[in-house]
Amino acid sequence: MQQERQRKNNYPMNTFMTMSLPSDIHYARIASKTAMMVAEFFSGQSGIAEKREEFCHAFELAVAEAFANSVFNAAPQEKERQVMISFSSEKSELMVSVSDANPEFDPEMQVPDILSYPEHGYGLVLIRQLMDSVRYSRQDGMNQLSMIKNAG
Amino acid sequence: MTVNEKKCKGITIVSLNGSLDAASAPGVLNSSSALTDTQSIVIDLSGVDFLDSSGLGCLVGIARKKREQGGDVRLACLNEKLRKVFDITRASRLFDIYDDAEYAAGTAAKK
Repeated sequence: MQQERQRKNNYPMNTFMTMSLPSDIHYARIASKTAMMVAEFFSGQSGIAEKREEFCHAFELAVAEAFANSVFNAAPQEKERQVMISFSSEKSELMVSVSDANPEFDPEMQVPDILSYPEHGYGLVLIRQLMDSVRYSRQDGMNQLSMIKNAG
Repeated sequence: MTVNEKKCKGITIVSLNGSLDAASAPGVLNSSSALTDTQSIVIDLSGVDFLDSSGLGCLVGIARKKREQGGDVRLACLNEKLRKVFDITRASRLFDIYDDAEYAAGTAAKK
């Protein structure tokens, strides 16, 4: 049944860990450090030593950015909502999904012009550059940002 | 995030330590007047173990305000993780980046 659900979502991966955190920016570091540790564990299990640090930092930073986006996109009266984070894998690919019940957002943000001193707008740019694949979906009132990177 | 200051060759070096991220960035500007006044400074990032886009936005905001007021900001001692963030966002085009904070202070003092 679980595999069937995963196929419907086009992500034939095995989910091995889920967590739910309050939609509060002070929990972002818990989310990102957890992602880094999961990536460390996964890359160790995969027997991949080369570029391991880069692989782990990619997950640490991508989850920090996705979590912060989720917190800042929540309406002020909805701060008690939760941010869901799940980790899945298939062979040498690790996927993390960050989900929330916030309003829909545009995941296709362009690189801001750094020479005009923008103080915001780098988060999704970083995520797209750090990960091999980034997918956004909106289903049943939930946003889901899925980020995949190959440890190989 | 902790913030320390010292003077070198007449230039204030502001050392940041910890994670410069969405949770800590809003408080950084209030932790040191050198970050918001008109003088040129060096920000030593050797103690920053994690930088996200909000932390980067904080540094960009400091640079913009300094330069609007005739001052400047130089950065020093970025580790590989921080350099990655600067490379992806092209923020390295906005800052003079040095490997040594005191050397950076020397270049600021000569200007």
